[in-house]
Amino acid sequence: MSCAEFAGLVDAFIDAELPAPKLLSVARHAGACLDCDRAVRELTAMREMLERGGRADAELLDLSPVWPAVERRAVRVDARRAWRRRLRTVPAWGIGLAAAAGALLWLRAPGPEPIRVTARPRPNQAVIERLDSSGGRFEVRSERKTGTLLIMFNATGDEAGR
Amino acid sequence: MSDHPRPVVLGLAVGALSVMGVSALCQALEVKITTVRAAERGPSDAQLEALRPRLRRLVGYRSFQIVGEERRKCAWQAPEAFTIPGGRLLRVVPKGMRDQAVLMQVKLLDGERALVDTDVRLQNRGVMLFGVGQDSRPAEGALIIMLKAED
Repeated sequence: MSCAEFAGLVDAFIDAELPAPKLLSVARHAGACLDCDRAVRELTAMREMLERGGRADAELLDLSPVWPAVERRAVRVDARRAWRRRLRTVPAWGIGLAAAAGALLWLRAPGPEPIRVTARPRPNQAVIERLDSSGGRFEVRSERKTGTLLIMFNATGDEAGR
Repeated sequence: MSDHPRPVVLGLAVGALSVMGVSALCQALEVKITTVRAAERGPSDAQLEALRPRLRRLVGYRSFQIVGEERRKCAWQAPEAFTIPGGRLLRVVPKGMRDQAVLMQVKLLDGERALVDTDVRLQNRGVMLFGVGQDSRPAEGALIIMLKAED
């Protein structure tokens, strides 16, 4: 095995993902080549360091809210599966009839209903209808969450000092 | 009996006018002006606790303290002037209602000069903010004027 071939296989070697004969030949090459042996040691040390870091981070994680969320999701998945099971039991002619009725309704519909977007009024909504400033510099800042507006006037030093 | 009609008519007129006055007052809008001093450091008023995050995002300062507060009934179409700490004047004219919101003309005056002249539409209990800061000396803070209108 050449060093170039070794370089292509070293990651899989360290992760023990190679088949046994390949694993053996990579190990043999590393045993005979100082540079490749060093590369294996460095990569192994790095992997161990990452694993230690990962373990420490995992210990710090608070997983208590995870399982209730997983349970809720599992309940939803179960419900979906139950619906699919029920649908499978519906005879083919029933599905065909439903599809035909749907197509008929779609064809008979006068046209697509305009989409009505109703924005929920925000608690502090303010709207500027007109704005005029004879002098000085101002800017309008808005906070989208609550709809609060601020007109910020930047006075000169003397003006603002008052 | 012929001598009486004049006082009766006068009485009726006075009565009608007072009823109209009372009803106008009932329909008046309550305007509340709160002036807040914003600064980079220092404590914030507990009264502003709920507003603090919003002010922080809009103004950028961390400390907010109330320096003046005034609540006044304002008649429709009638100008009302509120004195702002620091000598400026906030002139408010409630113009009417539109889209379930109060339309107001607001002028921030520095002597004769209008720093800002604007028409704003505010929802009931909505807040409009006016700030006076200085780009050249941001460390000195800013003055925030909170305008609130309530039916």
